[in-house]
Amino acid sequence: MKNLVYIRGTKEGLVLQLDDQCAYTDMLNELKAKVSDPALDGSAEVQLHLGYRYCTEAQYKEIVATIQNNSHLRVSKMRSEVISVEESNKRIQERQSETYVGIVRSGQVVKAEGDLVVVGDINPNGRVVAGGNIYVLGRLKGIAHAGAYGNREAVIAASWLEATHLMIDDLIETMTDELSVLSEQPEMECAYIHSNGQNIVIDRLQELRYIRPQISTFKGGS
Amino acid sequence: MGEAIVITSGKGGVGKTTTTANLGTALALQGKKVCLIDTDIGLRNLDVILGLENRIIYDLVDVLEGRCKVHQALVKDKRFEDMLYLLPAAQTVDKNAINPEQMKALVTELKKDYDFVIIDCPAGIEQGYKNAVAGADRAIVVTTPEISAVRDADRIIGLLELEENIEPPKLIINRIRQHLMKAGEALDINEITTHLSIDLLGIVADDESVISSSNRGEPVVMNPANPAAMGYRNIARRLLGESVPLMTMDKQNTGVFSKIKAIFAK
Repeated sequence: MKNLVYIRGTKEGLVLQLDDQCAYTDMLNELKAKVSDPALDGSAEVQLHLGYRYCTEAQYKEIVATIQNNSHLRVSKMRSEVISVEESNKRIQERQSETYVGIVRSGQVVKAEGDLVVVGDINPNGRVVAGGNIYVLGRLKGIAHAGAYGNREAVIAASWLEATHLMIDDLIETMTDELSVLSEQPEMECAYIHSNGQNIVIDRLQELRYIRPQISTFKGGS
Repeated sequence: MGEAIVITSGKGGVGKTTTTANLGTALALQGKKVCLIDTDIGLRNLDVILGLENRIIYDLVDVLEGRCKVHQALVKDKRFEDMLYLLPAAQTVDKNAINPEQMKALVTELKKDYDFVIIDCPAGIEQGYKNAVAGADRAIVVTTPEISAVRDADRIIGLLELEENIEPPKLIINRIRQHLMKAGEALDINEITTHLSIDLLGIVADDESVISSSNRGEPVVMNPANPAAMGYRNIARRLLGESVPLMTMDKQNTGVFSKIKAIFAK
């Protein structure tokens, strides 16, 4: 019979490779037998390779529990070659850039899953919320919340950054007098979370390519 | 078929009712048949400013609830032949006594007989506002050169832009005090229009006689020499499609030299 669970040692620790063609219960039974083998007595970190098997959240938890309850092994990483359509759509949405053309007026809220480009002003008490970065071609005079769903790398960039409140992930910065003195000219600036992880800081837009080089997705050119 | 214009502002006390009374009067003076509707139910004022308070028999709610015919409730302003009418608000109930569908039907009916139906909107963005804008074809937003009024105007413009049946709103900046604006103490006209980014319909100077004439029940626009009246008359002419240049508020410097200077300053 073919091995359904394959254990091999690598530099990074043990790798558990699970067969992705057999029945789930067969694989689980063999996994249980293999990990409870007394030969595997030392505690170690293992990586789980699921191959092309799609596991639901519950199944994934079951696999991890089977390993951790029957041995001293700890699952540190999981790798799978497949994701569901739903997850894939969500990822596409998160990476997508939405464009809003017009003025975000007082009391209005504009939301995007991924990046958000606003062509127009955001007036005081207007609010823009994005899962990714926020770029404003105009005056940002209201409230901007970037990385709203837990992205601390997100940035807020505006032609005129005069926001009353800047938020990135769970951090909030009110534009006090101090900050406005620091940025004498509110033109072409960006806001991001400082590397200390506790403050939102403002810099010239030109610095953005050094601060968050990963934002640039452009490839090619000469 | 006439057109219905709602006068609104969000914030209270910026001069919606005064603007309604004066624009209505100015349009009547231009020979248009005008009907003013006060939708500030429970806090009616328009009748007082027009000096028609003691002639009210029926009101808006009486009409909408079928206790009288529309023409019975309309109060005619005898100073303007057959040109200016007022449909007063009720004073004993509140804004929830009527709904937007009723208002829409009423305004549509009135538009058949009048060139302009001007609706005076109450302050706020709740039921009263919804009733007032329901039947309107156009909207005029009134603001003053104060930050709080401009913020509220911004909010109301946002709401008006969501209304599919209403043309993009136009702006009136009311109660302008030239000396404050010049000193940079008040927001200047340019600042306000770029912030709100809608078309400016006109500006009205802050003038003490607006208060005294309102108290007498005579809209200030009846006195053509008054600076505020000039503002209202210009706005009325612009509403009728004339192109009237924005009046300058300077009282001094009327010499030839300063006029030439003013041309180059533009």
